Amino acid sequence: MAIILGFVLAVVGFTLGTGVLGGIRVSMGLEYWSTDLSWTIGYPFALLGWLAGVGGWKYWATEWFGGTAAQTPKGVKRYFEWNMDHKVIGVQYGVTFVALLLLSGLAAMGIRYELMQPGMQLFTQDQYNAVMSFHGIGMVAVAVAIMLGAFGNYVVPIMIGAHDMAFPRVNALSYWLVPPVAIMLVIAVIMGGWDTGWTAYPPLSVLNKSGQVLFNLAVITFGLVSILGGINFIVTIVYERAPGMTWGRLPIFVWGAFAGSLIAFFFTQGFAAGLIMILLDRVANTSFFHAAEGGSPILYEHVFWFYSHPAVYVMVLPAFGAVLEVLSHMSRKPLYAYKWVVGAMLGIVALSGVVWAHHMFTSGMEDYLHAPFLVLTEMISIPTGIIFLAAIGTIWAGRLWMRTPMLFALAFIFNFTVGGLTGIYLADVPTDIHLHDTYFVVAHFHYTIMGGEIFALFAALYYWFPKMTGREFNETLGKIHFWLMFIGFQLVFIPMFQVGVKGMNRRVADYPDAYADFNRFISISGFVLGSSFIFFTANMILSWVKGRRAAANPWHATTLEWQVSSPPPEHNFEGTPVIESGPYEYGVPGAPKHAHIGPASAEHA
Amino acid sequence: MSRHVMIVGVLWVFFTALALAGAAAMNPFPTVGAEEAEFSDHAFRIMTFMGAPVFGFVIAALVYNIARFRSSGQPSEDGPPFKGGGMIPRAWLGVTTALAVVVMIYPGLTGLAEMRSDRSYDLEVNVTGYRWSWSAQYPDGEFTSNEIVLPKDQRVRFNVTAPAGDVLHSFWVPAFRLKIDAVPGQTNYLWITPTELGDGANDAAFRVQCAELCGLNHAGMRMNVRVVEPDEFEAWVAEKAGN
Repeated sequence: MAIILGFVLAVVGFTLGTGVLGGIRVSMGLEYWSTDLSWTIGYPFALLGWLAGVGGWKYWATEWFGGTAAQTPKGVKRYFEWNMDHKVIGVQYGVTFVALLLLSGLAAMGIRYELMQPGMQLFTQDQYNAVMSFHGIGMVAVAVAIMLGAFGNYVVPIMIGAHDMAFPRVNALSYWLVPPVAIMLVIAVIMGGWDTGWTAYPPLSVLNKSGQVLFNLAVITFGLVSILGGINFIVTIVYERAPGMTWGRLPIFVWGAFAGSLIAFFFTQGFAAGLIMILLDRVANTSFFHAAEGGSPILYEHVFWFYSHPAVYVMVLPAFGAVLEVLSHMSRKPLYAYKWVVGAMLGIVALSGVVWAHHMFTSGMEDYLHAPFLVLTEMISIPTGIIFLAAIGTIWAGRLWMRTPMLFALAFIFNFTVGGLTGIYLADVPTDIHLHDTYFVVAHFHYTIMGGEIFALFAALYYWFPKMTGREFNETLGKIHFWLMFIGFQLVFIPMFQVGVKGMNRRVADYPDAYADFNRFISISGFVLGSSFIFFTANMILSWVKGRRAAANPWHATTLEWQVSSPPPEHNFEGTPVIESGPYEYGVPGAPKHAHIGPASAEHA
Repeated sequence: MSRHVMIVGVLWVFFTALALAGAAAMNPFPTVGAEEAEFSDHAFRIMTFMGAPVFGFVIAALVYNIARFRSSGQPSEDGPPFKGGGMIPRAWLGVTTALAVVVMIYPGLTGLAEMRSDRSYDLEVNVTGYRWSWSAQYPDGEFTSNEIVLPKDQRVRFNVTAPAGDVLHSFWVPAFRLKIDAVPGQTNYLWITPTELGDGANDAAFRVQCAELCGLNHAGMRMNVRVVEPDEFEAWVAEKAGN
């Protein structure tokens, strides 16, 4: 209901915004409608209408203006409108981004079908570029937001013994900014798409079709989601920890969320600024990137990668946290070298900001920038090495419980090793000059982001599924999903390394016949990989609807989220959590329990 | 404990050997068409040889622990409480740092210096990228061509650009292993010494391929490359200039 109202008010807002603009234009003797400008002006009004409609007015803003905020409903209904409970928001993020993951995955299937043989079959070149671009930004959005959005929101406050996030209203606001992002991207595709991938390099992004404007508006909005989320996590983790939850006792997933949030907070502005400059070049005739008028296309690349390289650590730091979390609990061992891991995560945060130009070795930027960015980029392997030490040290001689989340966490180690090692070829200028913008790069970043983060996502998803839904998932379907996905993944991306070195460049609708055999093999493997998601989706739906009731602590894990019911009560704890030792004291003789729930204190009673 | 370390050590050697054998058995490279290609492939091989033991170690530790310590049911006890203090993390940090520094220097920085070392050239070709085609202008002969013809063993400098109102493209010939963006309003340079005869008509490695997404026909933005004997090149130039 609220969503329908949101849509209606969005249309009203859009009509109003474009109407005022149109009126002014007509009075100036111009045409009423100008696609680029009308969308740019109409969209913010549509966004306000949407936010008001989905509950931003009823549950929040009205109070400011002297009204009385309504009570949020209980039951399933609350997932479909404005809600300030971090657990509801976590589920909203999770479901929304899994849907976007499946949609962008479907785009990948279309891409692989088209590339199965040379020539054009399924798409025209224009459609191919649109689908490829949608796949790119859809998956980047999923990768940036799903770990923090779904599990960060749901689990972090409980893990640290808080009753909610520090800013519950901002949290609801940042979630409800997400659907407009997805909707705008889909509208952009329907309008004919845009053809600049997810990177939106000018001058092409200044000269191409109006789908680009919708892309820019959507991604600027998404940047806002990321920044607001980042602030919320940072403040929550700094100020909302329970008594005894010292920095040295934080579960490692919380540290991963904290580190990722720092990056989201500090760097996202860069991308948004670049996209705003493109919009201004388009609608206000500025010339930031217009060479003939003194602008520089390379300027955009610097601004863009200043965010977009750190962004991969927004994706992967929470993933490190989730994987190490699962490895520790499911090996029944303390997390190996805990404090070193924390240092490594913060080291990655620091280094992430000074490596961006390794994406630009062939861009024609100044030669003297090559050496420092080569050195700084290869330094990233040092803190990343600590993460591997921790992973191996944690499973070493443990009691490895080979359930689905553990399989995904172990596969993460394998995939990220391949992804990490192949990154060195791309940091090294003499090889990167050949490999840049080839399928070698495509294979490399799929190994780190999909093989790394998305495998970690599934480790986290299966691990916390019982907690979040109160149901057990189907282990057999989970294992089928894992094996199809793991094997399919290797068979897709290993050959991509080779075809890239051989001379196939990326983002192409067609290729020379010489690469036909590779592409047929990759496409068929791609369909195997794609089919694994059928088992995943079936498992999620069936288990959520009719899975067995989950116990409070099915994994017999130590951390706080497992010490409350599945799903947890409305304010997370019936009493006050008290933390008495580190989170992973498995097998430590005489160690006190990590946490117990004490009697309700006066403050929260 | 020491027995586990020993078995993992043996597996490490095994997996490293396996990775090296695999790397040696498959030749991933396209035709080596220039000195620069030799150089890039060499750096590629060095990194593969250095990466193989790292890969081998992770896989050995992973495989052994899964095989030896797996438990299909719920484990009835906790594992040994190693917390990872002491010398192991310090040693690990030392080794990984040393490896990173080595790769930075060789083949990294030394390779970069060598790539830059020779900026002389015998021949110049002005290359311009448009949406969606390439043109090659030979200043010596004052003519424009829609294929690139180069004399074997002569050093050539490509002056790569795009017109001010156009978009980014990237000039890449896989057989030469080098690419540089064609940026509107800016000229970028690339130096290459072709060492093998070749023709894009029968080897896809000898093609100029646009490698920076440039819109509609990006995939098809290609130009043929031919490397010929110097006398054949002279004849081609004379013929083109005569027209």
